[in-house]
Amino acid sequence: MSESTVRYSPRGRARAIKGFLRQFLSYGSAQVGLVCLVFFLVVAAVPNILVGPLQTAINATGDFLVPPSGQHLLGTDEVGRDVLNLVVHGARISLMIALLSTVISLVVGTTIGMTAGYYGGRVDVWLMRLTDFFFVMPSFVLALVITPVVLEVMGRGGEILGFRPSLFVILVVIGMTSWAFVARIVRSQTLSLKERTFIDRARVVGSSNFNIMVRHILPNLVPQIAANGALVVAGAIYVETSLSFLGLGDPLQPSWGTLLSLAQRAGAASAGAWWYLGAPGVCVLTVSLSFVLIGNALDDTFNPRRRVIP
Amino acid sequence: MPDTADILRLESLQVHFPIQGGLFDRVLGRPAGAVRAVDGIDLNIGRGEIVALVGESGSGKTTVGRVITKLAQPTGGKLLFEGRDMTAERGSSALRPYRHRVQMIFQDAYQALNPRHTVFDIVAEPLRSLRLVKNNAQLTERVSEALAAAGLNPPDDFFARFPHELSGGQRQRVVIAGALAVRPELIVADEPVSMLDVSIRAQILQVLVDLRAKHSMALLFITHDLPLAWLIADRIAVLYLGKLVEIGTADEITFNPCHPYTVALRNATPQVGANAGRAELPALQGEVPSAARVPKGCRFHPRCPLAFDRCRQEEPPAIEVGPQHLSACWLAK
Amino acid sequence: MIHSSQGGTSLLEVDGLSVDYGLKGVSSRAIDSVSFALRAGEAVGLVGESGSGKTTTAMAIAGLLSPNARVSGGQVRYRGNRLPIDDDAAMRPHRWSETSVVFQGAMNALNPVHRIIKQIAEPCMLKLGMSRGEATARARELLEFVGIPTDRGSAYPHELSGGMRQRVMIAMALACRPSIIIGDEPTTALDVITQAQILKLLGELRSQLNLALILITHDLSVVAESCDRVMIMYAGRIVEDGSVAEIFAQPKHPYTRLLIESIPNPASGKKMIRPIPGDPPNLVNRPLGCAFHPRCPSAMAVCATEVPSLDKLGRGRVACHLHRSSQDKVAVHA
Repeated sequence: MSESTVRYSPRGRARAIKGFLRQFLSYGSAQVGLVCLVFFLVVAAVPNILVGPLQTAINATGDFLVPPSGQHLLGTDEVGRDVLNLVVHGARISLMIALLSTVISLVVGTTIGMTAGYYGGRVDVWLMRLTDFFFVMPSFVLALVITPVVLEVMGRGGEILGFRPSLFVILVVIGMTSWAFVARIVRSQTLSLKERTFIDRARVVGSSNFNIMVRHILPNLVPQIAANGALVVAGAIYVETSLSFLGLGDPLQPSWGTLLSLAQRAGAASAGAWWYLGAPGVCVLTVSLSFVLIGNALDDTFNPRRRVIP
Repeated sequence: MPDTADILRLESLQVHFPIQGGLFDRVLGRPAGAVRAVDGIDLNIGRGEIVALVGESGSGKTTVGRVITKLAQPTGGKLLFEGRDMTAERGSSALRPYRHRVQMIFQDAYQALNPRHTVFDIVAEPLRSLRLVKNNAQLTERVSEALAAAGLNPPDDFFARFPHELSGGQRQRVVIAGALAVRPELIVADEPVSMLDVSIRAQILQVLVDLRAKHSMALLFITHDLPLAWLIADRIAVLYLGKLVEIGTADEITFNPCHPYTVALRNATPQVGANAGRAELPALQGEVPSAARVPKGCRFHPRCPLAFDRCRQEEPPAIEVGPQHLSACWLAK
Repeated sequence: MIHSSQGGTSLLEVDGLSVDYGLKGVSSRAIDSVSFALRAGEAVGLVGESGSGKTTTAMAIAGLLSPNARVSGGQVRYRGNRLPIDDDAAMRPHRWSETSVVFQGAMNALNPVHRIIKQIAEPCMLKLGMSRGEATARARELLEFVGIPTDRGSAYPHELSGGMRQRVMIAMALACRPSIIIGDEPTTALDVITQAQILKLLGELRSQLNLALILITHDLSVVAESCDRVMIMYAGRIVEDGSVAEIFAQPKHPYTRLLIESIPNPASGKKMIRPIPGDPPNLVNRPLGCAFHPRCPSAMAVCATEVPSLDKLGRGRVACHLHRSSQDKVAVHA
């Protein structure tokens, strides 16, 4: 046994992971959710191979608002673009925004929640007041206020950290409005972990506060963070869709929400073009549902008390 | 008692926890009370000495242990380690030299071990955080040595295991190994065997006693069990409601107790075989009062079958009744 | 005290009782062929470590086995009638009115939002068909009986100390005038002085009401002071059964002897720590033969292969190959 294998004990950890996966995959909801999610992740990863480059009004391949046929499996839009092409490219934007904003929300929420819960006292009071402020802030209002400012400063064509400004705004807005939920959950869990004897032991053996938080509290928070993270993604997809639907999205990089917005503006509902509204709609529903299913299954797996006794 | 022989001294140590008054009280400026968990304790532990701290729940025995291991901050009195005042020292880096020499063993080993860490990581944690090893080879050596000293053989078999994969006795041995790894000079053991199966207890006690024999390590053994204290300790200190009522050698306290509370405690302890001198005092009535409402005078007087007027008015000092034997009772002589 | 496996005077007879637990499709035996008899008014200590089956035995007698437990053999008779111990509904008329249980964690067993007098009166109304007034009067009487001032009856459980709560539990157990009380580690969570008070109370109640008591505990010294007879369990089986006086003076089974020696006893004057080597066996991988043989200082070859039966020896019973008669030993070797 080499030194490093001893220190990180891959056998024990692998066994734990294996047991976890077996339990997790025994839930039907986890299986359904994972299959849907993997399907959409593959689609989002290689859109060009599947349906060719993103179609615009210039390189559109069909007539206006043609119903689904052999040539256009999901019909076309009001400028003749293939809806399947748009939906597949939209998957990439939607999922990217949702996942990135979830990462922001988890990092901010965990840091603030853990710090507040661990230190308690005045730190806790002020951090939680801040959290409450963001907790009640409506994402739409925030987006409506920030978007024009950012666009004014950057111009529509610029880029922030490699993102086009309107996407960046959506990312930040979702991240800012969803971390408070995570922070509250993490804080309450930290409060109960802090009372456990192994934290006392860590202190007696000389671990610093930072080490206690990172090596003792954080690993024990992973279950809560993972389970709720999946729910945050589901929420982020909805918020992204709604913000884009209101016209805050980027028409040059259409997400599912942008597509819904375009369809609505093109009068797809009154024209009877159900495929145009339906395709992105079903995608939003399926992806967020699969995240909810995965989140609940994770919660059940990590929390044996909620497990149903066979 | 000679100063130099003592590794640790507590001088009128006090831990009061404030009671948060309601908003109403605060507005009216009513003084909030305090829970007097530890209310003026003098105690010394010699190098390589085993002292047992005996008391019921609510006596403050655990708080004393937490003060010594710097998990709780005293509100009064002094904590002296080798004559050096450690009362005000705080923060993990400032306490590093102290933690190197004072370690703790916990009652519930299952709770004291992080369920997500392996045995190796648990025992290595103090060595890493106190920066006591230079490289991985040294780390592995020290961890193996500590596990072996705690009776987990062969040590490598346990490296990769998680706490839930161990038996109760093995878990307590891992906790002990973690404390031993830094080669401390004083270990505070808070009820280290009370959660263990009866047949395992003696094994763990044996490990602790061996440590003293081999490394002349001092031990503060916190327990509620008087016979157990007698078995393991050199001296026994009996605690009632935050104050020492009697202290003396293990044999003195067991066979010649002076304080009525010690006598009551001894009489209440179930014994195998004949128990001579049981009927010296009637059994105690009632229960330990709350540490938020400590009785005036001698704090034991409301339950004491021998209490008289003076006990209700004046708190008795520790009176010397024999060599190394002190009793805080007006009747002691 | 003579043990009473025969004779019509026994109140309760446990005969070859075996209970299995099913967990994830794997079945493991918690208790194996447990047999004993209990006479009216007798106090028996059931002593063992965690996993020894002492709690399972007691819960089986009270018909309170958990849903994943299965009675795989044997029976329990109360006054000669077989008890439907694996049928919760059928046990209901018997439980509390004939056999009561005092649990360890009084706080969990009491309803936090009801006053204690109401909680004591409730079983009287349900089981004995008393009116509210009668039941409250009975509850008051019971409170006084267990040494709680009746004006404390209006308190909620959290307002009482641990010892007081355990007294309430005892009052509730007595409500329907049972003839057997099972105490499941009733004093383990209590302080020494409170423990002595509760044990004294149980002893007084026993003599006043002619109650039989089954005291489940891991603490031999508690049994030494409060029981007539003691049964030692190890790995799901009774290994020794006898009167308290005899077992403590002359333990026959090596496990009992080591257990008694490991208790610190100032009266003996010998400051000796005597560890029993090894760990207690768990439910899943139990040693073959006598379950204690891997830890036993006097183990023989036969101990590893053959389970010793619980045979009469003197006035008690012991399950150990050391104490089998010489013909038996010859028979084993043949």
